[in-house]
Amino acid sequence: MSGGLTTSPIDPEIFAALTEIVRTLFDEYTGPVGPELTAKSVGQWDSLANVQFMVLAEQTFKIRFTTREITDLGSLGDLARLIVAKRGRG
Amino acid sequence: MIDAGRYPQIATLIEAQLRIFAAHEAYLAMRFRNLSESELAFAEDLASLIARIAGDELDQCCADYRWLTHAVLDEEIFFRRENRYRLTTFVEALAEVYSDRVYMTRYMNGSLISQLWWANHSQTLRYFLESYLPANREGSRHLEIGPGHGLYLYFAATSPRVVALSAWDVSEASLAMVRRSFTALGMERPLALHRVNMFEPANEVFDSIVLSEVLEHVEEPDRALATIAGLLAPQGRAFINVPVNSPAPDHIMLYRSPEEVFEAVARSGLEITDVLLAPATGASLARARKLALTISTVIIARKPQ
Repeated sequence: MSGGLTTSPIDPEIFAALTEIVRTLFDEYTGPVGPELTAKSVGQWDSLANVQFMVLAEQTFKIRFTTREITDLGSLGDLARLIVAKRGRG
Repeated sequence: MIDAGRYPQIATLIEAQLRIFAAHEAYLAMRFRNLSESELAFAEDLASLIARIAGDELDQCCADYRWLTHAVLDEEIFFRRENRYRLTTFVEALAEVYSDRVYMTRYMNGSLISQLWWANHSQTLRYFLESYLPANREGSRHLEIGPGHGLYLYFAATSPRVVALSAWDVSEASLAMVRRSFTALGMERPLALHRVNMFEPANEVFDSIVLSEVLEHVEEPDRALATIAGLLAPQGRAFINVPVNSPAPDHIMLYRSPEEVFEAVARSGLEITDVLLAPATGASLARARKLALTISTVIIARKPQ
């Protein structure tokens, strides 16, 4: 999902909102939440939890991900950039 | 992730699953983390039964499990977005799932494997074997409606308190799966299998009825529970298992909390005598409630005198 988005800057407001979703859904994870964070680093972040995470992101930012974007999530930074791109297209 | 020397059957199944579905490794590691000795012992016995039922088709069953997880994921996306199950009528589920024998076979193969991989499924089976069956009265006539993979029925067949076994299902594929399971497990006790809708009038009564993962498939769950109450002899017992917040390709009745299930059972006139709440793998009950994750809601109920 990263493609040409990987070098674009991360919107701090979007990242803050994503961080809040991570902290809400994955309450056992106490490590840092940075742009490099992936599901693999978070014990509770399995495929079903990932759906919840992505749908909460959809509702927060009023966008819609494709199924592939949901299942192929990269890092949190990648997601923040994707959200910017989708909002720009919206 | 598992001590293959102590738990060879689990290890064999994990190896088979990961050959086909390598991406499931992290999930399976979570599934078998922090289990007690007794949980692992039960899982080992269950793995042995599943391997015997799957037989030469173990790889196919593991592939069907992978397919099932993808199907469930699609339903999960719909559920989280729309806050409801995708299908709402039995006719829709019949058209998409039950009338398609190939689909049903994949579904049940995947479901068979999920009995081990999904913690709530394993917990529920164990509760049935260790808490429900031993409390049946001697000479029980036992019925299961919607026997699926046949594991519950097999455990009932091993109970010395059960003298007669029946199973009803609307799907021929499901009944064929039960026959296959009994043959594979060497279970030779007589078994009355009937392709029948549970709402059709019956002249029999039973002392023990299992309704596991059925209510979420019917449009009139209250009527189904009333039917169970009518089929039970006085003081007869029922084992009712309903997953709440559990989207799947053929789930049409959405219960949003265990309490909704308790209330439905109470409306049928049955008395709830015991309950198990088994949350999805890796989730505490509190987290499952907070995030509306799946909770297998299992009720043991009794028909009053």
